[in-house]
Amino acid sequence: MWRRRRFVLLLLSPWLVGFSVFFGYPIVMAVYLSLNHYDLLSPPRWVGLANYRYLFTIDPQVGTAVKNTLWLVAVLVPAQVLFALGIALMLARAKSGAGVFRTIFYLPALAPPVAATLGFVYILNPATGPVNVVLGHLGISGPLWFQDPSWAKPSLVILGLWGVGNTMVIFLAAVLDVPKHLYESAEIDGANWWQRLRWVTLPSISPVILFALVLGVIQALQYFTQAYVAANIASGQASQAADVTAASLGYPQDSTLFYPVLLYQHGFSDYQMGYASALSVVLLVVSFAVTMVIVVNSRRWVHQAAGTR
Amino acid sequence: MKRVVSTAALAAVVGLIAAAAAIGAGRAGPVKLTVWVGWSAGKELVTFKQVASEYDKAHSDVTIDVVGGITDQKITAAIRAGNPPDVVSSFNSYDVGIYCGTGAWLDLAPFLKKSNISTSIFPKATMYYTQYGGKRCALPLLADTYGLYYNKTLFAKAHITHPPRTISELTADAKKLTQRNPDGSLKVVGLDPFIGFYENVPERWAQSYGAKYIDSKGHAILGDQAAWQKMMQWQKSLIDWYGYKNLVKFQAGLGDEFSASNGFETGKLAMNMDGEWRVAFIANEAAKLQYGTAPLPVDDAQPKLYGSGYINGTIIGLPKGGHNVDQAWAFVDYLTTNTHALAELANGLKNVPSTTASASSKELVPDAHFATFLKIFNNTYSSTSPIMASGQSYTNLVQTFWQNFQAKGSKNLGGDLKKLDSQLDAQVKQAGGSSGGGVP
Amino acid sequence: MSAVAQTPIVRRRLPRAVRRRRFLLAVANHSFLIAAAIAFLAPFVFILLTALMTNEQALSSRFWPHPFAWHNFVDVFHDAPLGRWTLNTLQYSVLATLGLLLSSVPVAYALARLHFRGRNALFMVVLVALMLPPQVSVVPLYVMWAKLHLVGTLWPVIIPNWFGDAFSIFLLRQFFLTIPEEYLDAARVDGLGELRVLTTVVVRLAKPAIAAVALFSFLYTFNDFFLPLLYTGESSHHWVLQIGLSQFRSLHQVQWNLTMAATLLVMAPVIVIFFLAQKAFVEGVTLTGVKG
Repeated sequence: MWRRRRFVLLLLSPWLVGFSVFFGYPIVMAVYLSLNHYDLLSPPRWVGLANYRYLFTIDPQVGTAVKNTLWLVAVLVPAQVLFALGIALMLARAKSGAGVFRTIFYLPALAPPVAATLGFVYILNPATGPVNVVLGHLGISGPLWFQDPSWAKPSLVILGLWGVGNTMVIFLAAVLDVPKHLYESAEIDGANWWQRLRWVTLPSISPVILFALVLGVIQALQYFTQAYVAANIASGQASQAADVTAASLGYPQDSTLFYPVLLYQHGFSDYQMGYASALSVVLLVVSFAVTMVIVVNSRRWVHQAAGTR
Repeated sequence: MKRVVSTAALAAVVGLIAAAAAIGAGRAGPVKLTVWVGWSAGKELVTFKQVASEYDKAHSDVTIDVVGGITDQKITAAIRAGNPPDVVSSFNSYDVGIYCGTGAWLDLAPFLKKSNISTSIFPKATMYYTQYGGKRCALPLLADTYGLYYNKTLFAKAHITHPPRTISELTADAKKLTQRNPDGSLKVVGLDPFIGFYENVPERWAQSYGAKYIDSKGHAILGDQAAWQKMMQWQKSLIDWYGYKNLVKFQAGLGDEFSASNGFETGKLAMNMDGEWRVAFIANEAAKLQYGTAPLPVDDAQPKLYGSGYINGTIIGLPKGGHNVDQAWAFVDYLTTNTHALAELANGLKNVPSTTASASSKELVPDAHFATFLKIFNNTYSSTSPIMASGQSYTNLVQTFWQNFQAKGSKNLGGDLKKLDSQLDAQVKQAGGSSGGGVP
Repeated sequence: MSAVAQTPIVRRRLPRAVRRRRFLLAVANHSFLIAAAIAFLAPFVFILLTALMTNEQALSSRFWPHPFAWHNFVDVFHDAPLGRWTLNTLQYSVLATLGLLLSSVPVAYALARLHFRGRNALFMVVLVALMLPPQVSVVPLYVMWAKLHLVGTLWPVIIPNWFGDAFSIFLLRQFFLTIPEEYLDAARVDGLGELRVLTTVVVRLAKPAIAAVALFSFLYTFNDFFLPLLYTGESSHHWVLQIGLSQFRSLHQVQWNLTMAATLLVMAPVIVIFFLAQKAFVEGVTLTGVKG
């Protein structure tokens, strides 16, 4: 018995160490630092709840960042799921060329986020980008895309829809897995296309859809790369004399200032480690709540998702 | 149990690092000085490297490794992370409040004393933006000042005989010089005052209106002065005349500011507010351009301000945690006080020399375009922006505010500015500074 | 596929109207797919075309390069240390992936096949770790690595992978659960110790899952941006491709044509690998549906 326990401990040891050092320790430390003023140069100075007070009552950017992140949850996530589902349904109906189509739709998901974002900022350049040039030929004055605070987030959604391949492939597998006899009996009952979708397909794949939504929310809470790169490149006209990166975060007009971007700005541009820790503690509380809801209900979807082959 | 395991892991990690560090240590011969500078574009980095290699050749105890394209963020990150270079330099002074206030850059007072350098050899304006709260942690390495560039060919076509001196002249000329395409989009823009575009940041236009940031106690006073509102309303009305959307589209079609596709160099901007270094860029990239330089036009009600401009400059210092402090200081000393070195840099970069001696050096190549900026630099009303404990974030907050305003306008600009003031004060307090570094 | 679905169904010939409607529906469906496919491919095409343009042309509204500036793909290498960035990326990918496999396989095996007190709780912890954003721990970790003088190198992004990765543990565990107990018992009867059972039988059976984990790890590290940005942002010697690419334009004042050429070069390896291992890819994604 002792040997067996030692064996288990041996197998688990890397993870136990990793969890303590790279997870447990930082979280405890974040709480401690959030109660200090700390700039990494002089020792932490205790300030009590001052950081939280600034966070909740003064910092004008916190509200903006929270709103922007909620926007992602409310718009980007459902849009991606619906779009992926639509494509998967059409692919499932295709009799010929399904393999080719599937490859084409999956391909953009492979493009590294930095590269994809760079490409889209160019393609959606308000003046010379192909999209607005084509729109111009059609007599439409295209929007300013990444240069306009009300279009910057929708532009990121377009970028997100382009890279929806992973979700699409999962949905396609689930749709193809729906037992054929269910469709056939529905057809015999005289169900039309919409009714078959509503009463056969969707109920059968609902765990996978739920899974995709959950995953989307988790990713929305950490959305950073695309926002950082798009703002940095789109604001490319900013002066060399001013610090380009710091000034460009959230460009234009804080419309792409998502919560992780704000945290990055305070932690790794201003090096206010105490305040950044307070921001991360708040993020921890929120994402832990979301996570707990998911984990408590995990039996349902983890099992299903793993079994979608 | 957990603690034992994590301690063991930390010990293992530390061991690894110690091994890695040991590999790097123990070299002999000349000391390698790593020097970080902001220059990266065109001929600029080449010019600096030339000056550095002259020093390198004359001093056998050091070899100098110049790294260009450095931003304030990189400097800050490296110092915090404990692996800075030996010498650091930044294009601007925005973060001096952080550098001096936190000790990220070493206090230079003992070094200056040791080398017997009196700060009176530097122009007074540069002395303000290289210290914070009385602590000098940087020295000026050439200075920058801003003025108006105008395209003489386009001026002749529009029958404009002299550069504008007041904001209303500027506005009238800008409209006259603007050309539109048949579809209504902008072909040539008279003057683009869009905040965030090229060199347009609030502090440079604030100079033309005499608008101030802080009072003598360091509190933000943007909402207390009529100047800020007047300036922002003027800027917004000009932008609205072009059409906000038209202007943004036009800007998106222009080339990068620091490339040969710069909008002024390609003739798409008839006038442009820019720094003195543009003279060198035009000489290299668009030698045929017929252009002139002048001070920036000023508020019609304050004609005495004409001839002045915003001043800032490249700063240089020694980072906390740098290794070869003595050799590094010797190099900084040379760069910032040696007349020959400064003249050579000033010629190559077309920057304002930053000692009184070098400003009158015979080595300086005279240039009519550039002379304008020397005059602006020496004008009594020329000034710079305040050095604050929150560094760049301070001016960024103002910039974001103005960008919102130029896009959406405001029903109550005065009230919004007052709110901005309290946000600025709270930001400084949060950054750990009680007040600013004195009034510029 | 269930057995029911495979049962052949005797089809009667459908009425003409129904067949006609089905045909039209199929045509509509296909037209939609073709339109969508064009939209999905268009960005690649535009990026390629711009990569072949001259400086001035990329700032104009013409689509077709004239003349074709093939030398852009050479110039990119002069303007940016792509080789250096690639080597750094490989260093990160290889060291992280190896460490991650070596440390995650045993943990996943223990969580899937060994019985011990607190197993379920531990698995929950893995799930939580998997779902929390990296931003919650990043500030203290940065402080820790700074104290160890490792900020400015790639070690802070590599080393944590040597201590188990939640995603890989999760994925491998799901796979280990599907291995029939009889296989393991047979090995035990042959006299193999528990450790040998793991290193021989289990690892051999789990090859596809291990390959998938390695593939995902490669993709993840190749695309990773946030952590390398934090730790190597200021030390260009250690930049990986993604950081280099993101700084490319502002650093060298180069124009869109070269930026797009670099973008294409950074996309290429992943796409090539995809076509080489397409089947494993799609199956892997389907199996996990977590990230890729």
